[in-house]
Amino acid sequence: MTIREYSNLYEYIRNCRTRYLLGSLFLLGANGFALLIPWLLKLAVEGLKNPAPGGHAPGYYAAWIIVAALAHGLVRVYSRTFILHAGRRIEYEIREDLHAKLQSLDLPYFAMGRTGDILSRFSNDLANVRMLLGFGFLNIINTAIIYLAALSLMVRISPALTLYAAIPYPFMILLVKRVSHSIFHNSKMAQEELSRLSSQVEENVSAAVVVKAYCREDAQTEAFRGIGTSYLYYSMKMANLRGILIPFMALVGGVGTMIVLLAGGSRVITGELTLGDFVAFNGYLVMLIWPTVVLGWILNLLQRGAASMARLNALLDAKATVREPSDPVKMEKISGRIEFRNLSFSYNGTPLLQGIDLQIGIGTRVGIVGPVGSGKTTLVRLIARLYPVGDGELFIDGVDINRISLQKLRDAIGYVPQESFLFSRTVAENIAFGRAGATLQEIEGAARLACLDGDVAGFPNGYKTVVGERGVTLSGGQKQRTAIARALIKNPAILILDDPLSAVDAGTEEAILQGFSRYYGDRTVVIVSHRISALRDCNLIVVLDEGRISERGTHLELLEIGGLYAAMYREQQLREEIAGY
Amino acid sequence: MTHFVGMHEDEVLGKAYDNRLLGRFIGYLRPYRWLAFWSLLLLPLIAAARLAQPYILKVAIDNHIVAGRMEGLPQLSGYFFSLILAEALLTYLEIYLLQLMGQKVMFDLRMELFAHIQKLSTSYLDRTPVGGLVTRVTSDVEVLGEMFAAGIISIVGDILVLVGIVCVMLWMNVKLSLVTFAVLPVLVYIVFAFRSRMRKAFREVRARLSTLNSFLAENIGGMAIVQLFNQQEKERQRFRQLNASYRDANLPVITWDASLFAVVETLSSVAIGLIIWYGGGEIVRGALTFGALVAFIQYIEKFFSPIRDLSAKYSIMQGAMAGLERIFLLLDTEKNEDKRESGQSPLNPPFAKGGEGGFKENFAPFETIEFREVWFAYQNDEYVLKGFNLMLCRGEKVALVGETGGGKTTVTRLLSRFYDVQRGSILLDGTDIRQIPLPLLRRRIGVVLQEPFLFTGTIEYNVCLGDEFARQRVEQAAAIVGADRFIRNQRNGFQEEVRERGSNFSVGERQLLSFARAVAFNTEILVLDEATSSVDTASERLIQEGLRGLLAGRTSLVVAHRLSTIQDADRIVVIHRGEKCEEGSHRELMAKGGLYYKLYQLQFKD
Repeated sequence: MTIREYSNLYEYIRNCRTRYLLGSLFLLGANGFALLIPWLLKLAVEGLKNPAPGGHAPGYYAAWIIVAALAHGLVRVYSRTFILHAGRRIEYEIREDLHAKLQSLDLPYFAMGRTGDILSRFSNDLANVRMLLGFGFLNIINTAIIYLAALSLMVRISPALTLYAAIPYPFMILLVKRVSHSIFHNSKMAQEELSRLSSQVEENVSAAVVVKAYCREDAQTEAFRGIGTSYLYYSMKMANLRGILIPFMALVGGVGTMIVLLAGGSRVITGELTLGDFVAFNGYLVMLIWPTVVLGWILNLLQRGAASMARLNALLDAKATVREPSDPVKMEKISGRIEFRNLSFSYNGTPLLQGIDLQIGIGTRVGIVGPVGSGKTTLVRLIARLYPVGDGELFIDGVDINRISLQKLRDAIGYVPQESFLFSRTVAENIAFGRAGATLQEIEGAARLACLDGDVAGFPNGYKTVVGERGVTLSGGQKQRTAIARALIKNPAILILDDPLSAVDAGTEEAILQGFSRYYGDRTVVIVSHRISALRDCNLIVVLDEGRISERGTHLELLEIGGLYAAMYREQQLREEIAGY
Repeated sequence: MTHFVGMHEDEVLGKAYDNRLLGRFIGYLRPYRWLAFWSLLLLPLIAAARLAQPYILKVAIDNHIVAGRMEGLPQLSGYFFSLILAEALLTYLEIYLLQLMGQKVMFDLRMELFAHIQKLSTSYLDRTPVGGLVTRVTSDVEVLGEMFAAGIISIVGDILVLVGIVCVMLWMNVKLSLVTFAVLPVLVYIVFAFRSRMRKAFREVRARLSTLNSFLAENIGGMAIVQLFNQQEKERQRFRQLNASYRDANLPVITWDASLFAVVETLSSVAIGLIIWYGGGEIVRGALTFGALVAFIQYIEKFFSPIRDLSAKYSIMQGAMAGLERIFLLLDTEKNEDKRESGQSPLNPPFAKGGEGGFKENFAPFETIEFREVWFAYQNDEYVLKGFNLMLCRGEKVALVGETGGGKTTVTRLLSRFYDVQRGSILLDGTDIRQIPLPLLRRRIGVVLQEPFLFTGTIEYNVCLGDEFARQRVEQAAAIVGADRFIRNQRNGFQEEVRERGSNFSVGERQLLSFARAVAFNTEILVLDEATSSVDTASERLIQEGLRGLLAGRTSLVVAHRLSTIQDADRIVVIHRGEKCEEGSHRELMAKGGLYYKLYQLQFKD
């Protein structure tokens, strides 16, 4: 399973191959110097033991040792920085790709996913993969170098003894096979729990007011404790496996030494092996103990990294249901004719819209009304292709919406969503969000149309006032009007307003509607509203009921039909009358 | 706030600061001191098992192999095997105990952070990006785990070994020891020079990761907007900038760490070079025996081995300290206001916490709520409320109307003490609400927010929020607000799953659920904030009916833009620019022909 998860990594590693290659070479050099210094030391000691005439003074060797030490240090620094920097660079690249992927995913995906979970993948899972690409790689190369060097020296002394020393390794491989699946599984579980921890924090902070209002702090903390305990459980399972793996590796090395002691010792006694060779052989074996332990650590890292990589792959391989068309129809300019042809839409098996037939001509203003859950928001979201649309069901300017490039389509649409989401940037940046390089005049113009100008004038820094995260520092009405200004400044052919005036008071609503009537021109406008008063400029009103169009016509026509619309209107009238009484 | 605010001055604060940080951290280890004790105890045992192995090898070679005696060798091998087995078992225990301690400490820290975040004031949370707080509770704590995984306890062992070896070296040969130690000032100097830089670099790393996560959290939340406005490329650029800045903050850390590692390696070889140079001279002059020199060189290697271990842990420690700083900084936020926030005042000591259910028996029903000369500003001197006065009596339904941004929502937020008034006071039966324990206050007030918030979980959970008392009333509450109709249509009814932010329900449905929540908690006072605004007429009628029954005998404060929904209010209060400008019944205000009359005319113009 490990290899499959890592196949996505190949390309990243290839792009960083120069760094990895240089790092590995320097690592080779560092190991060379590490061997050179004891050799110089040996020469110095021998020189001191048997001073030969014309031999070098101790200072001579000392100087060389110091030079080698300095070179060793330098090479060491480079070997580590090259490889570890490569790890960080790949982490950066993967994060970039993950983010690019996120930007291409559609609304249905985000409705499923949890923000905290994605955050956790971006930081915690990526950290595991990066550990492998940095320290993991460094140690893999280092271990390989030491193994190769020691093994070749050992084989030169005695191939048979080397085989003896290798006896415990098959057992090691067996255990590793067993354990690695467990590590993979538990690591994945732990990462999932960590994701849940993130989600819980994220949700709680976002909902702080609700939690406080209902005094649920303790209950929420208890829920958090539950997830925390579960994370602790899987972390300890991981610790347990790591605890088994690392000493076991040391054990493997130890058993090798023991076998060599027995087998090699008897050979020395029988004279098949010289004592000097035996001692040297043992020395190399000791050299291998630490790299073998590191091998256990690497295996742990590999499985952990694979588990995290699997979680990243899930995100990287996620498929958006709303995709760019492969052969977009060339369109000069979208003028705003919308046509639904027997459109049906279901979400998770629940039909939300059925048999929608609707033609909206250029410059038409359509009002959509209906009870809660009748599909109003879904209908307007489909026009912006926020949800997938079946082929041949929705046409813009006579072209199937699935064959229009998303960019082109959305450029032509000004959309005011039901919930006004603002970014923690300045008011001006929020308004100009969809139009890069909008001038201050244009921004002010849009704000004026949305009746936001008066409010902004009262802000400490005017248009340069930074709104808090999700726009928390603005009132609900101010947020909504900022969202309206943001849509208007795009100068769109199609304007979609999803219950745009729900959070503004009567006076402001009146002013905005007046501004709108000047702005509409030959734009196609679709307004969803619960308030019939907001639909007064509409020349077509559509009533949705349980996902079907139940009535359509002008205000007067609908009143004549005497159906749902008429009942709604009567009720609102009645309220006014009662109120006016 | 405490001394941790002065984070940037730590170069001046230096060691004292680190000690305080560590001292505080050790406090968290205290409950697990037995784990620490056992893992410390294991260290010498492991060392003994490890050190005895070469000795057995030596005996095997000297007494058996060299002597040519095979007998006894298998027995020695047996000893050797037991030793490596013992070492493996003890190491396993050591790793396990240390990890257990680390994970427990991390768990405790997380719980404390989470509980603390729950207590933070609304105004602090308004200012703080969510992604940043998530980073504190997850990644910043996770860094501490690395410290335990690296075997922080063995630092104690390393230091002990170091002291022992220094003593032995001095005992063997003072002069040679001093020559060896000559390289130490260089090491000490470098470690200290690195320390502040490394910490600074780590601090950058943690801060930039936090910024990156904050951006990402917001980006995910606003993805539909980004896509609708075709801003993917722009947002990608912004992200790339933050991502690159995070990467670049990490690079110097790697270089510092690698340099430190290399410096220790180099210095150990330099020390050997120095000994050869000096000791060689001494041998030539006959002042030193050859054996003593060789032995000494071996001690130098032993001397640098714990230093090497320590330096490897050094940067992990620095990283963990940077994480700790951020954790403690958050834990110290509003610590002084802790008392106020939890509302435990000396006046009402018996009620420390609102228990589950049954809390209502604890106090008599209230008679009046009074806003007396209330001044409030979210930001300095920009007063949203300016000397606001309002009196509510039990059983009254009072409506707040006025232009947006006029301060209506603020009034409701102040009543639940999401924010505290700056001047004036809010009195419940004559007692300042700041004197009432918060849980007690809030349990008497049911709040319906402007934007309904749903949690991931079931519908039932979202109505009762896990409260036992409220759970019994879930179905009843849903029926009262007319939410039962759509709930029954769900496949799993009340057990239907709610996704993040309730994204699988329409806004209207979410609103109904948040109404049901307020009803289920059966509070004395009901605060509705512009809640009826985005529900269609049919649902609104249902809600109005449900609420009418609920409101009987219950005080309510309703913020509404639709004047039609509040016509049966006992009193209507018109707020204009933070002040009450009109008050009276609908008819009185209409007759008066003031601001209310104007608002009314505007809304029902046609």
